[in-house]
Amino acid sequence: MTKHIADAYIVAATRSPVGKAPRGALRHMRPDDLLAQVLRAAVAQCPGLVLSDIDDVVVGCAMPEGEQGMNVARMGALLAGFPHSVSGVTINRFCASGLQAVADAAARIRLGEAEVMIAAGTESMSMVPMGGNKPSFSPEIFTHDQHLAMAYGMGITAECVAERWQVSREDQDVYAAESHRRAIAARDSGVFDAEISPCMVTQRIPDLQARDIRVQTQQFKNDEGPRSDTSLAVLSKLRPAFSQTGSITAGNSSQMSDGAGAVVLMSESAMKRYGLQPLGRFLGFAVAGVAPEVMGIGPVEAIPKVLKQVGLTQQALEWIELNEAFAAQTLAVIRQLDLDPNIVNPVGGAIALGHPLGATGAIRVATLLHGMRQRQLKYGMVTMCIGTGMGAAGVFERL
Amino acid sequence: MSAHPLMVRKVAVLGAGVMGAQIAAHLINARVPVMLFELTAMEGDPNANVLKAVAQLKKLEPSPLAEPQLADWIHPANYDHDLELLRDCDVVIEAISERMDWKAGLYQKVAPYLGEHTIFASNTSGLSINRLAAAFPEQQRSRFCGVHFFNPPRYMHLVELIACTETDDQILDNLERFLVSTLGKGVVRAKDTPNFIANRVGVFSMLATVHHAARLHLGFDVVDALTGGLLGRPKSATFRTADVVGLDTFAHVVKTMQDALADDPWHQYYQSPQWLQDLIAQGALGQKTRKGIYQKVGRDIHVLDVASATTVTAATKPTEANNLTNLIYRLADGVASESMVSILKNRDAATRFSLLRASSDPQAQLIWSIYRDVFHYCAVHLSAIAHNSRDLDFAIRWGFGWQEGPFEIWQAAGWQQIAQWIQSDIAEGLTMANTPLPSWVLEPDRFGVHRAEGSYAPLTQHYQPRSDLSVYALQPFPDRILGEDRLYGHTIFETDAVRCWHTGDDIAIISFKSKMHVIGDDVLDGILQAIDCAEKNYLGLVIWQTEPPFSAGANLKKTPAGGAPSSPPSAVGKWFKQVRRDTESLALKVARQFGVADQLMAGKLAQVEALVEQFQVTTQRLKYSMIPTVAAVDGLALGGGCELVMHCDRAVASLETYIGLVEVGVGLLPAGGGCKEFALRSAQEAGGGDLSPFIQRYFKTVAMAEVARSAQHARTLGYLRASDVVVMNRFELLSVAKAQVLALSAGYRPPLPAVNIPVLGRSGLATLRAYMANMRMGGQISEHDELIGTKVATILCGGDVEAGSFVDEQWLLDLERSYFMELMATEKTQARIEHMLKTGKPLRN
Repeated sequence: MTKHIADAYIVAATRSPVGKAPRGALRHMRPDDLLAQVLRAAVAQCPGLVLSDIDDVVVGCAMPEGEQGMNVARMGALLAGFPHSVSGVTINRFCASGLQAVADAAARIRLGEAEVMIAAGTESMSMVPMGGNKPSFSPEIFTHDQHLAMAYGMGITAECVAERWQVSREDQDVYAAESHRRAIAARDSGVFDAEISPCMVTQRIPDLQARDIRVQTQQFKNDEGPRSDTSLAVLSKLRPAFSQTGSITAGNSSQMSDGAGAVVLMSESAMKRYGLQPLGRFLGFAVAGVAPEVMGIGPVEAIPKVLKQVGLTQQALEWIELNEAFAAQTLAVIRQLDLDPNIVNPVGGAIALGHPLGATGAIRVATLLHGMRQRQLKYGMVTMCIGTGMGAAGVFERL
Repeated sequence: MSAHPLMVRKVAVLGAGVMGAQIAAHLINARVPVMLFELTAMEGDPNANVLKAVAQLKKLEPSPLAEPQLADWIHPANYDHDLELLRDCDVVIEAISERMDWKAGLYQKVAPYLGEHTIFASNTSGLSINRLAAAFPEQQRSRFCGVHFFNPPRYMHLVELIACTETDDQILDNLERFLVSTLGKGVVRAKDTPNFIANRVGVFSMLATVHHAARLHLGFDVVDALTGGLLGRPKSATFRTADVVGLDTFAHVVKTMQDALADDPWHQYYQSPQWLQDLIAQGALGQKTRKGIYQKVGRDIHVLDVASATTVTAATKPTEANNLTNLIYRLADGVASESMVSILKNRDAATRFSLLRASSDPQAQLIWSIYRDVFHYCAVHLSAIAHNSRDLDFAIRWGFGWQEGPFEIWQAAGWQQIAQWIQSDIAEGLTMANTPLPSWVLEPDRFGVHRAEGSYAPLTQHYQPRSDLSVYALQPFPDRILGEDRLYGHTIFETDAVRCWHTGDDIAIISFKSKMHVIGDDVLDGILQAIDCAEKNYLGLVIWQTEPPFSAGANLKKTPAGGAPSSPPSAVGKWFKQVRRDTESLALKVARQFGVADQLMAGKLAQVEALVEQFQVTTQRLKYSMIPTVAAVDGLALGGGCELVMHCDRAVASLETYIGLVEVGVGLLPAGGGCKEFALRSAQEAGGGDLSPFIQRYFKTVAMAEVARSAQHARTLGYLRASDVVVMNRFELLSVAKAQVLALSAGYRPPLPAVNIPVLGRSGLATLRAYMANMRMGGQISEHDELIGTKVATILCGGDVEAGSFVDEQWLLDLERSYFMELMATEKTQARIEHMLKTGKPLRN
């Protein structure tokens, strides 16, 4: 059991719709501007909150450079119109950055160092590609054989997981099709309405015929990723994307995406002061490392670790958001821990909904808390694998 | 007269069909702004029809575009909204369907919009130019003519130019200048007779082949085995060519002859055979429908078997013989008989023909009969269809890809003897028509039709010299025809490997004498000697070959790599598939070109190293000599040939230039300064900024052994620089190269030696190695590929040094040389070279 002096409550959790990268609706939306919109949307859900009371803004970003560099947390807070007194810190744990932001923000409250915290995540894969603008590896990787896997792309590591845990191509494709089916069903029945804050996208396109700048402002409301036109038949025809003889395809991998999410956390006293109702309580968080070449298996180490920490059994969990970096690693984790497939990603996962790297953790916390509220469930988890071989897991109690 | 008698600023092409769109593409290749017109789309974007055709251009193989992105420069237009744009066009090329009524309707519609000086040319293959002219407003008719491009227009050299009676001579001359110099075409002036010259003779040759093949019961595959490369014609020979052209198109051309040439002595043969009509009726139109005379069955090629089909049907149901719908195919495994191969191998044409005629082998009889009837046909029709015999021979060479024209073949085989044989075959009723040979053919002192001063023109009974049009002054050595003296200037010095010469001015030219112009130590010695010599006595040095390739490899007039594009597992997989395809035919030549193969067999690694070192010395001399050096490139320039080009002060390259550093394909790497230049260029292009994207691009180019598909593409890949010049007509190459020497020579100083070259060092190397580690894990490259790639990456990154270190050229050259030798010493590279030499195919080990 963790020792803490105060509980951290989530009073608001929201996210942008997720766009496809690099040619989707958010392709021209800068990640700092998108973050600002999501921060404003999050605080708007906390009526009466005095902005200057925010102790810090913690933002996760997997590739914090270029448009999302320069400490994007502080940039986003200022762009959101927060007072100068509100500080910001950007953190990076690759794909778990957004979840790590929530954990770090909660930790400050639980230690009594802060009362009002914002945790968020933002990522534009349209603007900053996977690996960043200028990937550069240490020569030491090649001087020791055991370091070689540090150079592997995520797709290759997924192939390693598929091979070692014997996940067939067909199982992966079946899983991918189901992810799309669940996402479409959830979207069509309005499940995501509570968590999504539509964003305004303004584009300025030169019109060479009219010799004018065409300014288009549109509201972007729905995730672009889910496909109603996909099927097992379509997915099974795709060629392997990373290995000639492999099973990982573009169809059974997560999508490249743009998006942002934000969560407002408070201590009990602050919550009472503002008269706000909690969505849930943060219970605990753990990370653990695995071999880099099988990074996708990371949650297998992190999940038992966090459950032990919070004193819950696996069976107590009623909803698990297990980030679908690849169907292969998702299935390997489900099978290895004997998770109930019905409670894992009940509204679809990253294969359908997209995976804007460092934003995903924050986004899925919003999905989990609003989803558990709709279904009146109690304990839930957000977990994911992390590049270079780690797993992260956070546990939440819906209130 | 002004220097630019016709300034073509813009061209419009009317009709975005197969020919129209490809002509537009070639205009863009030549940097001529072009508007492509098509019927207005019924719904949506009014230009949807054109845009569809333009999109299709990017997919066609061989590519009509020098680079796919050039398609974006084709300005789409339609007849309902954009006719006003025609006013700005200096030339309008009409290329709509071959329907008299449609063309006439279009002329009425567009004529009012033509500019005051606009030349209007119809690209027709069959309709009479004078009949078309009649549909054109009378006051504009002096600017009307026919212009007949051959498919595919980028690659086929021939354009037939046809006047109507009213066409202004000046207009024709101007158009010819434009076609020759700007578009790089070979122009033949044709008379206004059905199908003009090339198709008239070429299609007759195909019909004669059909006729004699049926008579001699030879299968289409056997005929193709005989009438392709063995006769100095394209590999696609007769029937495969028909499939490529399209059987419906072929039948259409035949129909034109049937309708318009009623009095022709060969008229009875101007009809599509029953099997052809059946194929067309069933929609088997050749390549475009994937089924024609040939079809692919699994991995095999099958051929229509007319003989058995006819026999079966005729025997069982004679009444239905005309309703033949049951097309029978069989495996296409026909080959030339041994006796034929030995006959055709004879170097002496006279011997070849006497053996052919005397042989009882049906295959030999086929070839003799076809030649005889084609000669007969050409002799009878020459005066009606062409201005002289050279025009007829060039039309067939440039339009049908024959290495020699019919009259050249006849003349080389002994004019009198052949004429006598034809005559006796006519007398015996063996020829397809019994019309006598024209009297000029039988003149007792006639030795042929081509001689030094010109080619025979029966109407004037003179030997007509080549055109004196000003544009041909740029072609000091035009395409050679039999009987012409060909003296390449005055020798400065000559060795077994090279000849250094000049044309009476102050520019030295060096040409290689080696086969495929491969480079050995003797060639390198020659180049060094030529540079010394030019520094003393000349303004500059041009490297120019009397015929392509520039260096190494066969004359691949088409794209270096055809083949059906299959969707790859990934972008990376695509690279490597392409490497395999591209290197297949090329890498062998590289091994030979380095002269390393033989050395290797003898185990003389020290000699190899000496050769590499001498190569580096030579390329550095080309770069730093006291005179400007210009490479005039046409055709293949591979491996070491590419490195020569990269080190000259300037390259002048014909459009159909295929440059590449292909050494990786045989397990080696560019060590004549190729990697060094790319490292250097990266530093220059980065301009003090991040080198990574530049190094990555060049790494990809070298590691994939990329071969450019045109001169423009070579620029994109980085083999050619922005300052290098693209020349559309390869016969103008030498003139342009010399002009470049003159331009550079005023105040010429060599570049200062490159010092302080920033390199990416070990971090950059590690990053490139990371990419390769992923490809290796993904099974896309082998361990040895990874080793070779690592060596290339190490050179490009300047070695195992700190990022941001500075090196000089010699540092990079030393890396090249030592890694080249390291790879050479590996068993796997040796196995690759041996395998390539034995099988002509790359080994993946």
